[in-house]
Amino acid sequence: MVSPDAFLYILGLTYLFIVIAVSWDVMVGYTGQVNLGHIVFVGIGAYTTALLQTPSRLQRLIPGMLLETTQVPIYASILCGGVAAAMFGLIIGVITLRLKGWYFALVTAVLPLVFVETTVIWKDVFGGEEGFPIGLKGALASSTLGKYYVAFAFMLASVAAMYAIVNSKVGLKFKAVREDPYLAESVGINTVKIKVLAFMVSSFFAGLAGALIVHYRGTVSPSLYDVPLMLLVILAAVIGGLGTIFGPMVGGLIVYLAKHWWLKGAVAALTSTGLPINDDIILYAVLIAMAVLLPEGIWMRARKIIRGTRIS
Amino acid sequence: MEMLELLMRILVYGATLSGIYSLIAAGFTLIFGVSRIMNFSHGAFFVLGAYLGIAIINGVGLNPYLSTAISILMVGLLAAIVYKGIMSPVRTQEVMVIIVTLAFALILEQLILLIFGEHGISYPSMVKGVISIGGVPIPSMRLFVLAIALTALILLWILIGKTRLGREITAASQDVEAATLLGLDVDKLFLTTVFISSILAALGGALYAQVYAANPFLVLKSLIFAFAIVILGGLGSVKGSVISSFIVGYILTAVIVLYGARWSELTALLIIIAILILKPTGLFGVKEL
Repeated sequence: MVSPDAFLYILGLTYLFIVIAVSWDVMVGYTGQVNLGHIVFVGIGAYTTALLQTPSRLQRLIPGMLLETTQVPIYASILCGGVAAAMFGLIIGVITLRLKGWYFALVTAVLPLVFVETTVIWKDVFGGEEGFPIGLKGALASSTLGKYYVAFAFMLASVAAMYAIVNSKVGLKFKAVREDPYLAESVGINTVKIKVLAFMVSSFFAGLAGALIVHYRGTVSPSLYDVPLMLLVILAAVIGGLGTIFGPMVGGLIVYLAKHWWLKGAVAALTSTGLPINDDIILYAVLIAMAVLLPEGIWMRARKIIRGTRIS
Repeated sequence: MEMLELLMRILVYGATLSGIYSLIAAGFTLIFGVSRIMNFSHGAFFVLGAYLGIAIINGVGLNPYLSTAISILMVGLLAAIVYKGIMSPVRTQEVMVIIVTLAFALILEQLILLIFGEHGISYPSMVKGVISIGGVPIPSMRLFVLAIALTALILLWILIGKTRLGREITAASQDVEAATLLGLDVDKLFLTTVFISSILAALGGALYAQVYAANPFLVLKSLIFAFAIVILGGLGSVKGSVISSFIVGYILTAVIVLYGARWSELTALLIIIAILILKPTGLFGVKEL
C-alpha cells in the first residue's frame, strides 16, 4: 500500500500535469495547431525559476551580473517562469507563423531535441542530464499537504482562467481558425495574430506549471523538456477529449496516476510472466485503442451518455 | 588528414548515407502523397528492418542476404496490418493518425528496448574488404550499400512510372474521388503503398545497420530526419525527397567528417528549420496542405 503522504505527493503533481495538458488543449483542441513541442515551455518555465533560485548558476550564464544574496521571492520567480515561457511562445509563434499543418508540426517536434541539447552543452549552467536542486528555501510549503493545497489551488485558478479564455470572444476566434483558417481570414480574423496569441496563452500556463513543478519537487532536470512527457500530455488530452478543457483534466488525472501509481502493480504481475512489457507500452496501447474506438475522448462520450443524445 | 582523402570520404560516405535516407524518405512521402497519412511509425519500420534481420541471422542462422529479404518482407506485412488495423479507421482525422502511429512507434521502441537493450547492434558485414579510389581507401561495404540503395530507388521509379499499379497509385494520389469513380480500389492502393514504402524503409534500416549501428532511439530519430527531409523536398514529391535526402545526407556527412558526430544532427536540423522558414512549402512543394 502506498502511504497517504506519497499519494498526496503524486496527486499534487497530477494537478500540475493537468494544467499542462489543458494548456496544450488550448493550442491543439481549440486553435487546431498541433504543437508537438509544447513541453519546451514547461522546461523553460522550470529552468527560469530554477536559475533565479540559484544565483550561482545564473552568474555563470550572465557573468558579472550583480546579485544580492537574498532569495528571489518564490511566487515572483514562478511568475517569471511563466512570462519567460510566454515570451518564447511569442518568438516561436512568430517564427512558425508562415508554416502550415505538417510543416508546423515538424518544427515544433524538433524543439524539445534542441532544448535538451542546450542543457547538456551548457552543463555548468543547466546541470546536464541530472539537472540540479534548488534547495529547501524554494519549496512551496514545508509539508506535503501544504504543497498539495498549493498545486490544487493553482490548478483550479489556471483551468478557470483558460476556460474563461476559450469561452470568450477570443476563444471563438481560436475555434474559427481551427475549423477553417481561410474562411476565418475572409471574415476578417487575423489568423496569424490569433495563432500567436494561442501560443502565448498556452505557453504561459505551461511555463507556470513547469515552474511550480520545480518548487514542488525541489529539483529541475531535462526530463521536464523531454519527449516522453510530451507524449503523456498528448495521451491525456486525447483520451480525455480534445477541445473540451475538462477532457484533458479527466485524461490527465487518469494518465498521470496510471503511469505513476496504478500500473506499477499490473506491470509487475505481467513482467513476472516473462512478457516484454512495461507501463509505457500499456499506456500507448490504451492510447491507440482509445483513438480508434473513442476518438472524441472520454469526456465527450460521458456527456453524450448523460444527456442521452446521439450526436454522430 | 589530407584534403583529397577528406573530400573523397565526404563524397562517398555522403552518397551512402543519402542513399539510405532516400529509401526511408521516399517511402514516407509516397504514403503521404497517395493517402494523406502522416505515418509516424515509419521510423519504427526502418529500425525493425535492422533488428529483425539481425534476429533472423543470429536466431535462425540464415545468411545475411536471405535474412534481410525475409526481414523486410515481414516488416512490410506488419505495416500492412498496422494500416488495416489502426491507420485506415482514423484516416480522415489527421491529428489522430499522427497520435496513433506515434503511439505504435513508441510501443515498438519500448519492445526493442526491453528485448534487445539500449546498446546499438550492427549487422554482420555482407561485403568485406577495402577498395582504393584515387588512392584513398574506401570500405567496399559502403559502395555495396550505395549500390543497393540506388537499385531500390530505380526499381521504385520503374514501378511508379511504368507499371499499371504505379499508374493507379499516381491516380489515387492526384484525386481520390476520381480514382474511386474509375473503379479503383483506393483502400487497397493505400495498403499497397504502405507495404512498398515500409519494405523500402526496412531495407534502409538493414543497410544503415551495416554501415553504422541500429539502436532503439533511431525509431524517433530516423522519423524526424525522414520527416524533415520529406518536408524540405516538398510533401508528396518523391523526386523532391530523394534530392533533399542527398542535400541533408551531405550536410550531415560533411559536418561529421569535419567537426565530429556530436554537432551533425543539431546542425542539420537547424539548417532544415532555417530553410523551411525561408521557403515554407519546401524546395519542391507540390501538395496542398
